Amino acid sequence: MNLLEQIFGPGSLDLLLTMALMLLKIVVVIGALMLHVTYATYFERKTIGHMQVTMGPMTTGWHGLLQPIADFIKLFFKEDIIPAEADKPVFFVAPIIAVFAAMASIAVIPFFDGFVIANINIGLLFILAMSSLGSYGVIMGGWAANSKYSFLGGLRSSAQVVSYEISMGLSLVGIMMLSGSLNVTEIVKAQEPYPFHMFLFSFPNFPQVIAFFVFIVSAFAETNRTPFDLPEAESELVAGYFTEYSGMRFGLFFVAEYIGMIIMACIATTCFLGGWSAPIPIPFVPPLFWFIIKVYFIIFLYYWIRATVPRYRYDHLMSLGWKVLIPLALANIIITGIVKVIL
Amino acid sequence: MTVKKLVKTIFMTEILKGMALTLKMMFTHAVTRQYPKEKHPAMPGFRGLHALTRNAETGEARCVGCGLCAAVCPSQCIKIYTADSPDHKKIVERYEIEVLRCVYCGFCVEACPYAAVALTEHYEYSDYTREAFYMTKDKLLSNYDKYMGREKDQEYFARFWHPTSDDYRTPEDQPVFRGRNPQ
Repeated sequence: MNLLEQIFGPGSLDLLLTMALMLLKIVVVIGALMLHVTYATYFERKTIGHMQVTMGPMTTGWHGLLQPIADFIKLFFKEDIIPAEADKPVFFVAPIIAVFAAMASIAVIPFFDGFVIANINIGLLFILAMSSLGSYGVIMGGWAANSKYSFLGGLRSSAQVVSYEISMGLSLVGIMMLSGSLNVTEIVKAQEPYPFHMFLFSFPNFPQVIAFFVFIVSAFAETNRTPFDLPEAESELVAGYFTEYSGMRFGLFFVAEYIGMIIMACIATTCFLGGWSAPIPIPFVPPLFWFIIKVYFIIFLYYWIRATVPRYRYDHLMSLGWKVLIPLALANIIITGIVKVIL
Repeated sequence: MTVKKLVKTIFMTEILKGMALTLKMMFTHAVTRQYPKEKHPAMPGFRGLHALTRNAETGEARCVGCGLCAAVCPSQCIKIYTADSPDHKKIVERYEIEVLRCVYCGFCVEACPYAAVALTEHYEYSDYTREAFYMTKDKLLSNYDKYMGREKDQEYFARFWHPTSDDYRTPEDQPVFRGRNPQ
Protein backbone atom coordinates (compact mmCIF):
# COMPACT_ATOMS: atom_id res chain seq x y z
CA MET A 1 0.00 0.00 0.00
CA ASN A 2 2.71 2.42 1.05
CA LEU A 3 4.73 1.35 -1.94
CA LEU A 4 1.98 2.60 -4.24
CA GLU A 5 1.92 6.01 -2.58
CA GLN A 6 5.68 6.18 -2.69
CA ILE A 7 5.77 5.53 -6.42
CA PHE A 8 2.79 7.59 -7.61
CA GLY A 9 2.70 10.23 -4.90
CA PRO A 10 0.28 10.84 -2.03
CA GLY A 11 -3.45 10.23 -2.63
CA SER A 12 -2.87 7.81 -5.47
CA LEU A 13 -4.48 5.00 -3.47
CA ASP A 14 -7.70 6.97 -3.13
CA LEU A 15 -7.64 7.74 -6.82
CA LEU A 16 -7.13 4.09 -7.65
CA LEU A 17 -10.02 3.06 -5.40
CA THR A 18 -12.30 5.69 -6.92
CA MET A 19 -11.40 4.53 -10.40
CA ALA A 20 -12.02 0.90 -9.50
CA LEU A 21 -15.40 1.80 -8.00
CA MET A 22 -16.28 3.83 -11.08
CA LEU A 23 -15.31 0.96 -13.34
CA LEU A 24 -17.41 -1.45 -11.29
CA LYS A 25 -20.38 0.93 -11.55
CA ILE A 26 -19.93 1.19 -15.32
CA VAL A 27 -19.77 -2.60 -15.70
CA VAL A 28 -22.89 -3.08 -13.59
CA VAL A 29 -24.84 -0.37 -15.40
CA ILE A 30 -23.81 -1.43 -18.91
CA GLY A 31 -24.52 -5.07 -18.09
CA ALA A 32 -27.97 -4.27 -16.76
CA LEU A 33 -28.60 -1.97 -19.72
CA MET A 34 -27.65 -4.57 -22.32
CA LEU A 35 -29.82 -7.15 -20.58
CA HIS A 36 -32.69 -4.69 -20.67
CA VAL A 37 -32.08 -4.00 -24.35
CA THR A 38 -32.20 -7.70 -25.25
CA TYR A 39 -35.33 -8.31 -23.27
CA ALA A 40 -36.93 -5.04 -24.39
CA THR A 41 -37.14 -6.59 -27.87
CA TYR A 42 -38.79 -9.70 -26.43
CA PHE A 43 -41.16 -7.64 -24.30
CA GLU A 44 -42.05 -5.50 -27.31
CA ARG A 45 -42.86 -8.48 -29.51
CA LYS A 46 -44.91 -10.09 -26.75
CA THR A 47 -46.83 -6.90 -25.94
CA ILE A 48 -47.60 -6.02 -29.53
CA GLY A 49 -48.43 -9.65 -30.29
CA HIS A 50 -50.95 -9.85 -27.49
CA MET A 51 -52.43 -6.48 -28.44
CA GLN A 52 -52.97 -7.91 -31.92
CA VAL A 53 -54.56 -11.03 -30.36
CA THR A 54 -51.60 -13.20 -31.40
CA MET A 55 -48.90 -14.71 -29.20
CA GLY A 56 -45.52 -13.29 -30.17
CA PRO A 57 -42.45 -15.54 -29.99
CA MET A 58 -43.34 -18.94 -28.52
CA THR A 59 -40.92 -21.61 -29.75
CA THR A 60 -37.41 -20.70 -28.50
CA GLY A 61 -37.44 -21.60 -24.83
CA TRP A 62 -40.44 -21.44 -22.53
CA HIS A 63 -42.86 -18.95 -24.14
CA GLY A 64 -40.02 -17.80 -26.38
CA LEU A 65 -37.89 -16.53 -23.49
CA LEU A 66 -34.63 -17.38 -25.26
CA GLN A 67 -35.66 -15.62 -28.47
CA PRO A 68 -33.58 -12.44 -27.91
CA ILE A 69 -30.47 -14.56 -27.24
CA ALA A 70 -31.11 -16.57 -30.40
CA ASP A 71 -31.55 -13.31 -32.31
CA PHE A 72 -28.28 -12.01 -30.94
CA ILE A 73 -26.39 -15.16 -31.90
CA LYS A 74 -27.88 -15.03 -35.38
CA LEU A 75 -26.94 -11.37 -35.84
CA PHE A 76 -23.45 -11.96 -34.50
CA PHE A 77 -22.63 -14.79 -36.89
CA LYS A 78 -24.32 -13.32 -39.94
CA GLU A 79 -22.20 -12.35 -42.93
CA ASP A 80 -21.19 -8.71 -42.80
CA ILE A 81 -22.01 -7.29 -46.23
CA ILE A 82 -20.50 -3.96 -47.24
CA PRO A 83 -21.80 -2.36 -50.45
CA ALA A 84 -19.12 -1.98 -53.14
CA GLU A 85 -19.83 1.73 -53.60
CA ALA A 86 -19.96 2.49 -49.88
CA ASP A 87 -17.86 5.18 -48.24
CA LYS A 88 -16.10 2.62 -46.08
CA PRO A 89 -14.63 4.60 -43.14
CA VAL A 90 -17.91 6.45 -42.64
CA PHE A 91 -19.80 3.22 -43.08
CA PHE A 92 -17.77 1.57 -40.31
CA VAL A 93 -17.87 4.45 -37.90
CA ALA A 94 -21.59 5.31 -38.14
CA PRO A 95 -23.02 2.49 -36.00
CA ILE A 96 -20.27 3.00 -33.43
CA ILE A 97 -21.20 6.67 -33.09
CA ALA A 98 -24.87 5.76 -32.73
CA VAL A 99 -24.19 3.25 -29.95
CA PHE A 100 -21.61 5.42 -28.22
CA ALA A 101 -23.87 8.46 -28.13
CA ALA A 102 -26.76 6.42 -26.82
CA MET A 103 -24.69 4.69 -24.15
CA ALA A 104 -22.92 7.84 -22.94
CA SER A 105 -26.20 9.39 -21.80
CA ILE A 106 -26.77 6.64 -19.24
CA ALA A 107 -23.77 8.00 -17.29
CA VAL A 108 -25.71 10.89 -15.79
CA ILE A 109 -28.91 9.03 -14.89
CA PRO A 110 -29.26 8.45 -11.14
CA PHE A 111 -30.83 5.06 -10.52
CA PHE A 112 -31.24 5.69 -6.83
CA ASP A 113 -29.83 8.17 -4.33
CA GLY A 114 -26.08 8.27 -4.80
CA PHE A 115 -25.86 5.66 -7.56
CA VAL A 116 -24.87 7.57 -10.64
CA ILE A 117 -21.78 7.04 -12.76
CA ALA A 118 -21.06 10.74 -13.31
CA ASN A 119 -22.80 13.21 -11.02
CA ILE A 120 -22.14 16.26 -13.20
CA ASN A 121 -23.83 19.63 -12.87
CA ILE A 122 -24.93 19.87 -16.50
CA GLY A 123 -26.59 16.47 -16.62
CA LEU A 124 -29.64 17.44 -18.66
CA LEU A 125 -27.58 19.41 -21.17
CA PHE A 126 -25.24 16.43 -21.51
CA ILE A 127 -28.18 14.14 -22.31
CA LEU A 128 -29.56 16.58 -24.89
CA ALA A 129 -26.11 16.91 -26.47
CA MET A 130 -25.65 13.16 -26.64
CA SER A 131 -29.07 12.60 -28.18
CA SER A 132 -28.25 15.11 -30.91
CA LEU A 133 -24.89 13.43 -31.41
CA GLY A 134 -26.72 10.15 -31.96
CA SER A 135 -28.37 11.56 -35.04
CA TYR A 136 -24.89 11.92 -36.60
CA GLY A 137 -24.62 8.15 -36.59
CA VAL A 138 -27.94 7.94 -38.38
CA ILE A 139 -27.07 10.59 -40.97
CA MET A 140 -23.62 9.12 -41.60
CA GLY A 141 -25.05 5.63 -41.90
CA GLY A 142 -27.58 6.89 -44.41
CA TRP A 143 -24.94 8.74 -46.41
CA ALA A 144 -22.19 6.13 -46.38
CA ALA A 145 -24.15 3.23 -47.83
CA ASN A 146 -24.63 5.08 -51.14
CA SER A 147 -28.15 3.76 -51.46
CA LYS A 148 -31.16 5.96 -52.17
CA TYR A 149 -33.25 4.34 -49.45
CA SER A 150 -30.61 4.81 -46.79
CA PHE A 151 -30.00 8.35 -47.94
CA LEU A 152 -33.67 9.32 -47.81
CA GLY A 153 -33.99 7.64 -44.43
CA GLY A 154 -30.99 9.54 -43.11
CA LEU A 155 -32.31 12.86 -44.44
CA ARG A 156 -35.72 12.29 -42.94
CA SER A 157 -34.20 11.32 -39.65
CA SER A 158 -32.00 14.41 -39.48
CA ALA A 159 -34.92 16.72 -40.28
CA GLN A 160 -37.08 15.00 -37.70
CA VAL A 161 -34.49 14.94 -34.95
CA VAL A 162 -33.60 18.61 -35.49
CA SER A 163 -37.28 19.62 -35.30
CA TYR A 164 -38.16 17.59 -32.27
CA GLU A 165 -35.01 18.27 -30.30
CA ILE A 166 -36.14 21.88 -29.89
CA SER A 167 -39.47 20.97 -28.39
CA MET A 168 -37.83 18.35 -26.20
CA GLY A 169 -35.28 20.83 -24.88
CA LEU A 170 -37.96 23.46 -24.31
CA SER A 171 -40.21 21.00 -22.48
CA LEU A 172 -37.42 20.37 -19.99
CA VAL A 173 -36.95 24.11 -19.32
CA GLY A 174 -39.95 24.14 -16.98
CA ILE A 175 -38.30 21.38 -14.97
CA MET A 176 -35.05 23.34 -14.81
CA MET A 177 -36.93 26.41 -13.61
CA LEU A 178 -38.77 24.53 -10.87
CA SER A 179 -35.73 22.66 -9.62
CA GLY A 180 -33.20 25.42 -10.24
CA SER A 181 -30.59 22.91 -11.35
CA LEU A 182 -29.37 20.92 -14.33
CA ASN A 183 -27.99 18.14 -12.16
CA VAL A 184 -30.30 15.16 -12.57
CA THR A 185 -29.91 14.05 -8.95
CA GLU A 186 -30.82 17.56 -7.79
CA ILE A 187 -33.86 17.51 -10.06
CA VAL A 188 -35.11 14.30 -8.48
CA LYS A 189 -34.55 15.69 -5.00
CA ALA A 190 -36.39 18.91 -5.90
CA GLN A 191 -39.54 16.89 -6.52
CA GLU A 192 -39.81 15.78 -2.88
CA PRO A 193 -42.25 18.50 -1.68
CA TYR A 194 -44.86 17.87 -4.37
CA PRO A 195 -47.75 15.35 -4.39
CA PHE A 196 -46.52 11.84 -5.31
CA HIS A 197 -43.00 13.39 -5.39
CA MET A 198 -43.52 14.21 -9.06
CA PHE A 199 -43.11 17.37 -11.11
CA LEU A 200 -46.08 16.04 -13.05
CA PHE A 201 -48.32 17.22 -10.17
CA SER A 202 -46.22 20.12 -8.94
CA PHE A 203 -48.91 22.04 -7.05
CA PRO A 204 -49.05 24.88 -6.14
CA ASN A 205 -46.51 25.58 -8.88
CA PHE A 206 -47.74 25.03 -12.40
CA PRO A 207 -47.98 21.24 -12.90
CA GLN A 208 -45.76 20.05 -15.72
CA VAL A 209 -48.45 18.02 -17.47
CA ILE A 210 -48.12 19.89 -20.76
CA ALA A 211 -44.35 19.60 -20.61
CA PHE A 212 -44.68 15.87 -19.94
CA PHE A 213 -46.93 15.45 -22.96
CA VAL A 214 -44.58 17.46 -25.18
CA PHE A 215 -41.61 15.52 -23.85
CA ILE A 216 -43.19 12.14 -24.45
CA VAL A 217 -44.22 12.99 -28.01
CA SER A 218 -40.78 14.46 -28.77
CA ALA A 219 -39.10 11.43 -27.23
CA PHE A 220 -41.09 9.18 -29.56
CA ALA A 221 -39.97 11.25 -32.53
CA GLU A 222 -36.40 11.52 -31.26
CA THR A 223 -36.01 7.76 -30.98
CA ASN A 224 -37.72 7.18 -34.36
CA ARG A 225 -40.53 5.14 -32.85
CA THR A 226 -44.03 4.70 -34.22
CA PRO A 227 -46.04 6.83 -34.96
CA PHE A 228 -43.01 8.91 -36.00
CA ASP A 229 -40.89 6.14 -37.52
CA LEU A 230 -40.68 7.79 -40.93
CA PRO A 231 -36.88 7.40 -41.16
CA GLU A 232 -37.42 3.65 -41.30
CA ALA A 233 -40.80 3.55 -42.99
CA GLU A 234 -40.82 -0.02 -44.30
CA SER A 235 -43.35 0.56 -47.04
CA GLU A 236 -41.36 3.35 -48.68
CA LEU A 237 -37.74 3.02 -47.59
CA VAL A 238 -37.19 -0.72 -47.01
CA ALA A 239 -35.55 -0.16 -43.62
CA GLY A 240 -34.48 3.49 -43.78
CA TYR A 241 -30.97 4.52 -42.91
CA PHE A 242 -29.73 1.00 -42.08
CA THR A 243 -31.05 -0.66 -45.23
CA GLU A 244 -27.55 -1.63 -46.39
CA TYR A 245 -26.29 -2.72 -42.98
CA SER A 246 -26.25 -6.36 -42.04
CA GLY A 247 -24.99 -8.62 -39.30
CA MET A 248 -23.55 -7.04 -36.19
CA ARG A 249 -23.41 -3.53 -37.68
CA PHE A 250 -27.16 -3.64 -38.10
CA GLY A 251 -27.30 -5.03 -34.58
CA LEU A 252 -25.44 -1.99 -33.27
CA PHE A 253 -28.00 0.40 -34.80
CA PHE A 254 -30.71 -1.76 -33.33
CA VAL A 255 -29.10 -1.66 -29.89
CA ALA A 256 -28.66 2.12 -30.20
CA GLU A 257 -32.37 2.53 -30.93
CA TYR A 258 -33.38 0.52 -27.88
CA ILE A 259 -30.85 2.20 -25.62
CA GLY A 260 -32.23 5.53 -26.85
CA MET A 261 -35.70 4.39 -25.85
CA ILE A 262 -34.53 3.36 -22.40
CA ILE A 263 -32.64 6.65 -21.96
CA MET A 264 -35.73 8.65 -22.89
CA ALA A 265 -37.79 6.59 -20.44
CA CYS A 266 -35.14 7.28 -17.76
CA ILE A 267 -35.25 11.04 -18.41
CA ALA A 268 -39.05 11.06 -18.29
CA THR A 269 -38.84 9.15 -15.01
CA THR A 270 -36.24 11.36 -13.39
CA CYS A 271 -37.59 14.69 -14.61
CA PHE A 272 -41.35 14.19 -14.45
CA LEU A 273 -42.17 11.09 -12.43
CA GLY A 274 -39.90 11.64 -9.47
CA GLY A 275 -37.09 9.21 -10.19
CA TRP A 276 -36.45 6.74 -7.39
CA SER A 277 -38.81 8.34 -4.84
CA ALA A 278 -41.89 6.33 -3.96
CA PRO A 279 -45.21 7.90 -5.03
CA ILE A 280 -47.03 5.82 -2.43
CA PRO A 281 -45.04 5.08 0.74
CA ILE A 282 -44.76 1.29 1.03
CA PRO A 283 -42.21 0.02 3.57
CA PHE A 284 -39.32 -2.27 2.58
CA VAL A 285 -39.54 -1.42 -1.11
CA PRO A 286 -36.12 -0.28 -2.38
CA PRO A 287 -35.91 3.02 -4.28
CA LEU A 288 -34.44 1.21 -7.30
CA PHE A 289 -37.70 -0.72 -7.62
CA TRP A 290 -39.71 2.48 -8.02
CA PHE A 291 -37.28 3.81 -10.58
CA ILE A 292 -37.44 0.60 -12.62
CA ILE A 293 -41.23 0.39 -12.40
CA LYS A 294 -41.57 3.93 -13.72
CA VAL A 295 -39.09 3.28 -16.55
CA TYR A 296 -40.93 0.08 -17.49
CA PHE A 297 -44.19 1.97 -17.57
CA ILE A 298 -42.80 4.50 -20.06
CA ILE A 299 -41.33 1.69 -22.18
CA PHE A 300 -44.68 -0.07 -22.10
CA LEU A 301 -46.22 3.21 -23.28
CA TYR A 302 -43.89 3.11 -26.28
CA TYR A 303 -45.15 -0.35 -27.22
CA TRP A 304 -48.74 0.52 -26.46
CA ILE A 305 -48.61 3.53 -28.77
CA ARG A 306 -46.86 1.46 -31.43
CA ALA A 307 -49.67 -1.10 -31.37
CA THR A 308 -52.32 1.61 -31.56
CA VAL A 309 -51.37 4.62 -33.65
CA PRO A 310 -50.56 4.39 -37.38
CA ARG A 311 -47.61 6.22 -38.92
CA TYR A 312 -47.88 9.99 -39.51
CA ARG A 313 -47.61 11.60 -42.90
CA TYR A 314 -44.36 13.50 -43.29
CA ASP A 315 -45.83 17.03 -43.54
CA HIS A 316 -48.13 16.28 -40.59
CA LEU A 317 -45.10 15.21 -38.60
CA MET A 318 -43.31 18.48 -39.34
CA SER A 319 -46.35 20.65 -38.68
CA LEU A 320 -47.00 18.82 -35.40
CA GLY A 321 -43.44 19.49 -34.29
CA TRP A 322 -43.22 23.12 -35.29
CA LYS A 323 -46.81 24.36 -34.98
CA VAL A 324 -48.07 22.44 -31.95
CA LEU A 325 -45.31 21.12 -29.73
CA ILE A 326 -42.93 24.11 -29.77
CA PRO A 327 -45.69 26.67 -29.02
CA LEU A 328 -47.01 24.37 -26.28
CA ALA A 329 -43.57 24.07 -24.73
CA LEU A 330 -43.04 27.84 -24.92
CA ALA A 331 -46.43 28.47 -23.33
CA ASN A 332 -45.51 26.03 -20.57
CA ILE A 333 -42.27 27.94 -19.91
CA ILE A 334 -44.08 31.28 -19.71
CA ILE A 335 -46.87 30.03 -17.44
CA THR A 336 -44.46 28.16 -15.18
CA GLY A 337 -42.28 31.25 -14.91
CA ILE A 338 -45.21 33.56 -14.12
CA VAL A 339 -46.65 31.20 -11.50
CA LYS A 340 -43.25 30.77 -9.89
CA VAL A 341 -42.68 34.53 -9.74
CA ILE A 342 -46.11 35.13 -8.23
CA LEU A 343 -45.63 32.50 -5.52
CA MET B 1 -64.80 24.20 -35.00
CA THR B 2 -67.26 23.61 -32.22
CA VAL B 3 -66.21 23.52 -28.58
CA LYS B 4 -66.88 19.79 -28.40
CA LYS B 5 -64.63 19.12 -31.36
CA LEU B 6 -61.92 21.35 -29.91
CA VAL B 7 -61.99 19.48 -26.60
CA LYS B 8 -61.82 16.20 -28.50
CA THR B 9 -58.78 17.39 -30.44
CA ILE B 10 -56.94 18.73 -27.42
CA PHE B 11 -57.41 15.65 -25.26
CA MET B 12 -56.94 13.27 -28.23
CA THR B 13 -60.00 11.26 -27.28
CA GLU B 14 -59.78 9.15 -30.41
CA ILE B 15 -56.22 8.04 -29.72
CA LEU B 16 -57.16 7.33 -26.11
CA LYS B 17 -60.11 5.23 -27.29
CA GLY B 18 -57.79 3.28 -29.56
CA MET B 19 -55.34 2.76 -26.72
CA ALA B 20 -58.14 1.52 -24.48
CA LEU B 21 -59.08 -0.98 -27.17
CA THR B 22 -55.54 -2.27 -27.63
CA LEU B 23 -55.11 -2.59 -23.87
CA LYS B 24 -58.36 -4.53 -23.64
CA MET B 25 -57.25 -6.80 -26.47
CA MET B 26 -54.00 -7.51 -24.65
CA PHE B 27 -55.92 -9.39 -21.99
CA THR B 28 -58.04 -11.48 -24.33
CA HIS B 29 -57.03 -14.93 -25.49
CA ALA B 30 -54.82 -15.10 -28.55
CA VAL B 31 -56.39 -16.58 -31.65
CA THR B 32 -53.11 -18.17 -32.73
CA ARG B 33 -53.13 -21.91 -33.37
CA GLN B 34 -49.65 -23.26 -32.70
CA TYR B 35 -49.65 -25.47 -35.73
CA PRO B 36 -47.12 -28.26 -35.33
CA LYS B 37 -48.10 -28.67 -31.68
CA GLU B 38 -51.85 -28.33 -31.96
CA LYS B 39 -53.31 -29.60 -35.19
CA HIS B 40 -56.68 -28.66 -36.43
CA PRO B 41 -58.75 -31.73 -37.34
CA ALA B 42 -59.74 -31.76 -41.00
CA MET B 43 -63.35 -30.78 -41.58
CA PRO B 44 -65.64 -33.54 -42.89
CA GLY B 45 -65.37 -33.73 -46.65
CA PHE B 46 -61.88 -32.23 -46.66
CA ARG B 47 -60.03 -32.84 -49.93
CA GLY B 48 -56.55 -34.04 -49.02
CA LEU B 49 -54.22 -36.77 -50.24
CA HIS B 50 -55.57 -39.19 -52.87
CA ALA B 51 -56.38 -42.83 -52.24
CA LEU B 52 -57.77 -45.79 -54.15
CA THR B 53 -60.53 -47.43 -52.13
CA ARG B 54 -60.68 -51.17 -51.56
CA ASN B 55 -63.61 -53.41 -52.19
CA ALA B 56 -65.01 -54.41 -48.81
CA GLU B 57 -65.37 -58.10 -49.73
CA THR B 58 -62.33 -58.87 -51.87
CA GLY B 59 -59.89 -56.29 -50.55
CA GLU B 60 -58.93 -55.44 -54.12
CA ALA B 61 -59.12 -51.94 -55.59
CA ARG B 62 -62.64 -50.99 -56.61
CA CYS B 63 -61.36 -49.34 -59.77
CA VAL B 64 -62.52 -50.95 -63.01
CA GLY B 65 -60.38 -48.82 -65.28
CA CYS B 66 -63.20 -47.02 -67.08
CA GLY B 67 -61.07 -43.88 -67.35
CA LEU B 68 -63.81 -41.41 -66.43
CA CYS B 69 -61.67 -39.79 -63.74
CA ALA B 70 -58.78 -39.34 -66.16
CA ALA B 71 -61.18 -37.86 -68.71
CA VAL B 72 -62.72 -35.36 -66.29
CA CYS B 73 -59.49 -34.34 -64.59
CA PRO B 74 -58.86 -30.65 -65.45
CA SER B 75 -55.12 -30.82 -64.80
CA GLN B 76 -54.83 -34.22 -66.50
CA CYS B 77 -52.79 -35.74 -63.74
CA ILE B 78 -54.40 -39.20 -63.70
CA LYS B 79 -52.95 -41.92 -65.91
CA ILE B 80 -54.66 -45.32 -66.27
CA TYR B 81 -53.26 -48.32 -68.14
CA THR B 82 -55.54 -51.32 -68.50
CA ALA B 83 -54.73 -54.79 -69.83
CA ASP B 84 -56.37 -58.07 -70.68
CA SER B 85 -55.98 -60.82 -68.06
CA PRO B 86 -55.56 -64.51 -69.03
CA ASP B 87 -59.25 -65.14 -68.24
CA HIS B 88 -60.23 -62.17 -70.44
CA LYS B 89 -61.12 -59.78 -67.68
CA LYS B 90 -60.16 -56.14 -67.87
CA ILE B 91 -57.55 -55.47 -65.24
CA VAL B 92 -56.09 -52.12 -64.15
CA GLU B 93 -52.39 -52.53 -64.65
CA ARG B 94 -51.29 -49.09 -63.55
CA TYR B 95 -53.22 -46.27 -61.91
CA GLU B 96 -51.06 -43.22 -61.33
CA ILE B 97 -51.74 -39.74 -59.98
CA GLU B 98 -49.23 -36.93 -60.19
CA VAL B 99 -50.12 -35.19 -56.92
CA LEU B 100 -48.06 -32.08 -57.63
CA ARG B 101 -50.25 -31.28 -60.64
CA CYS B 102 -53.54 -32.00 -58.90
CA VAL B 103 -55.76 -29.00 -58.10
CA TYR B 104 -57.92 -30.90 -55.59
CA CYS B 105 -61.16 -30.11 -57.40
CA GLY B 106 -62.59 -33.53 -56.54
CA PHE B 107 -64.04 -34.08 -60.04
CA CYS B 108 -62.46 -37.56 -60.18
CA VAL B 109 -64.33 -38.61 -57.04
CA GLU B 110 -67.53 -37.15 -58.40
CA ALA B 111 -67.12 -38.82 -61.78
CA CYS B 112 -66.27 -42.28 -60.47
CA PRO B 113 -69.31 -44.59 -60.73
CA TYR B 114 -67.92 -47.04 -58.14
CA ALA B 115 -66.46 -44.69 -55.52
CA ALA B 116 -63.06 -46.11 -56.35
CA VAL B 117 -61.00 -42.95 -55.90
CA ALA B 118 -61.15 -40.79 -52.80
CA LEU B 119 -59.54 -37.71 -51.29
CA THR B 120 -58.53 -38.51 -47.72
CA GLU B 121 -58.35 -36.09 -44.79
CA HIS B 122 -54.56 -36.36 -44.65
CA TYR B 123 -52.87 -33.09 -45.54
CA GLU B 124 -49.33 -33.23 -44.09
CA TYR B 125 -47.35 -34.96 -46.80
CA SER B 126 -44.59 -32.56 -47.77
CA ASP B 127 -41.40 -34.17 -48.98
CA TYR B 128 -38.03 -33.34 -50.48
CA THR B 129 -38.32 -35.20 -53.80
CA ARG B 130 -40.79 -35.04 -56.66
CA GLU B 131 -40.84 -38.84 -56.85
CA ALA B 132 -42.53 -38.97 -53.46
CA PHE B 133 -45.52 -37.20 -54.94
CA TYR B 134 -45.89 -39.53 -57.89
CA MET B 135 -48.57 -41.91 -56.63
CA THR B 136 -48.62 -45.43 -58.05
CA LYS B 137 -51.45 -47.90 -57.52
CA ASP B 138 -49.75 -49.52 -54.52
CA LYS B 139 -49.09 -46.21 -52.86
CA LEU B 140 -52.67 -45.11 -53.41
CA LEU B 141 -54.00 -48.33 -51.91
CA SER B 142 -51.74 -47.96 -48.89
CA ASN B 143 -52.97 -44.37 -48.52
CA TYR B 144 -56.45 -45.81 -48.25
CA ASP B 145 -55.37 -48.22 -45.55
CA LYS B 146 -53.58 -45.50 -43.60
CA TYR B 147 -55.92 -42.55 -43.82
CA MET B 148 -59.34 -43.71 -44.90
CA GLY B 149 -60.36 -46.91 -43.08
CA ARG B 150 -63.58 -48.69 -43.85
CA GLU B 151 -66.00 -46.86 -41.55
CA LYS B 152 -64.66 -43.49 -42.46
CA ASP B 153 -64.87 -44.49 -46.11
CA GLN B 154 -68.56 -45.41 -45.83
CA GLU B 155 -69.44 -42.16 -44.09
CA TYR B 156 -67.33 -40.12 -46.46
CA PHE B 157 -68.95 -41.43 -49.60
CA ALA B 158 -72.46 -41.51 -48.16
CA ARG B 159 -72.31 -37.92 -46.99
CA PHE B 160 -70.21 -36.11 -49.51
CA TRP B 161 -69.66 -37.95 -52.75
CA HIS B 162 -72.42 -40.48 -53.24
CA PRO B 163 -71.19 -42.65 -56.13
CA THR B 164 -73.31 -42.23 -59.27
CA SER B 165 -73.80 -45.98 -59.58
CA ASP B 166 -76.09 -45.70 -56.53
CA ASP B 167 -78.44 -43.42 -58.45
CA TYR B 168 -78.93 -45.85 -61.31
CA ARG B 169 -79.07 -49.06 -59.30
CA THR B 170 -82.17 -51.12 -59.98
CA PRO B 171 -84.57 -51.02 -57.05
CA GLU B 172 -84.53 -54.26 -55.06
CA ASP B 173 -88.23 -54.95 -55.66
CA GLN B 174 -88.05 -54.60 -59.43
CA PRO B 175 -88.01 -57.96 -61.31
CA VAL B 176 -84.96 -57.94 -63.57
CA PHE B 177 -82.33 -60.41 -64.72
CA ARG B 178 -79.81 -60.54 -61.87
CA GLY B 179 -77.29 -63.01 -63.35
CA ARG B 180 -77.36 -66.76 -63.52
CA ASN B 181 -77.10 -67.44 -59.76
CA PRO B 182 -78.65 -64.56 -57.86
CA GLN B 183 -77.88 -64.61 -54.16
